[in-house]
Amino acid sequence: MELFGIFFAAFLINNILLIRFIALCSFFGVSTQIGTSIGMSFAVIFVMTISSAVSWVVYHFILTPFHLEFLRTAAFILTIAALVQLEELYMKKMVPNLYRAMGIYLPLITTNCAILAVAFLAIDYKYDFLPAMVYSLGVSFGYSLAMVLFAYVRERMALAPIPKWFQGYPIAFITAALMSLAFLGFTGMFGL
Amino acid sequence: MIILTSILVLGILGFIFAALLALAANYFKIEEDSRVATILAILPGANCGACGAAGCHDFAAKVAKGEVAVSGCLVGGEKVAKKIAEIMGETGFEVHKQVAAVHCGAKLNQRKLKASYSGIKTCAAAELIGGGGLLCNYGCLGYGDCVCVCPFDAIHLSGGLPVTDPEKCTACGKCVKACPRQIISLRPFDFPVIVACSSHDKGADTRKICPVGCIACKICEKEVPEVFKVVDNLAVMDYSKSGTNCEPAILKCPTKCIVRVG
Repeated sequence: MELFGIFFAAFLINNILLIRFIALCSFFGVSTQIGTSIGMSFAVIFVMTISSAVSWVVYHFILTPFHLEFLRTAAFILTIAALVQLEELYMKKMVPNLYRAMGIYLPLITTNCAILAVAFLAIDYKYDFLPAMVYSLGVSFGYSLAMVLFAYVRERMALAPIPKWFQGYPIAFITAALMSLAFLGFTGMFGL
Repeated sequence: MIILTSILVLGILGFIFAALLALAANYFKIEEDSRVATILAILPGANCGACGAAGCHDFAAKVAKGEVAVSGCLVGGEKVAKKIAEIMGETGFEVHKQVAAVHCGAKLNQRKLKASYSGIKTCAAAELIGGGGLLCNYGCLGYGDCVCVCPFDAIHLSGGLPVTDPEKCTACGKCVKACPRQIISLRPFDFPVIVACSSHDKGADTRKICPVGCIACKICEKEVPEVFKVVDNLAVMDYSKSGTNCEPAILKCPTKCIVRVG
């Protein structure tokens, strides 16, 4: 039940894109088409889960024993960058189909702030390994949900007659703000 | 002391990752034909997919394997094909330049309407709402989605009908994909004849709603049997028979939907 609470809180109530406003660059960058937004979402789910597991291990078994908690930013960036490279090499050889499907999104994610944020937040919340995993899964699914919903709206907007001054990013920002307001409605659900 | 440990820990961590990556790069190495990279550098790099491959890299890999012809890149055309042929050590290849062709001949004043459409002025939107009020279920909607997507300024509306400029057209296929009614396709540059209709309606039905639609009378099939064939109430052309004289069919076609273009 506790794990479900963690997942749900990360998935909807503290949705990383619409409530926490992290990783907005990819939210606006690759949400113009449903296909690309789904590709990005799967890549994020994949990378976020693995990278938060590894950075949790790095923090608790390498940084904590040496009392070097303040180095976590540098250590996590190092870990995540190396990890994504490793995953890319592995997938290219072992699962070329998946590699081709994820395409450019996999290397792009190296610099996605959501990945780093989840590694930090899981430690700030003092989660054990399993809750940390559930938390990162929740965040990445929340990311995918917001991403795909937004892509559907934007595909519809591409057909709509939008006044010249609002075309492009202005209307996208307004839409995202309205979606964010809607997501605020989840606050307090299940007493979370 | 703390400075020393931080430097050591981060340094060792970085070293381990570097070693791991180096090992992995070696272990997961993919034997790629060195020619693939050279061919990729020559290609236009638009990843348009007009060649049928998933992108320029995919195309380069297929060429290196010998699965597709060196002249497969439509956007690059003859120049690129020649360079690729040099790399592959091939000679005596042929380049078939292709251009886009619009398979509808009904100008704005020839189209019959079943309703007046006042929605968003794009073909994609009009097609969603009952075909923009057009009576013909196959014909051109005339809002020019194809004109908007053309990166080469090679397609323009004339009387509500898109007309291609064969000199500028690179056969990238963007208009082919953009048309919601799929009435644009590619034809060989050196065979300037098209069937300007896409209607699969029965002849009698087509005759009622359009003065220039194919009514499947099969006269073209009788006149020039090598090229024309009526399939599913529509004349289709065999473009591999380049150079055949299609003049008899063009002259005899009762609705004049077989036309010379370019």
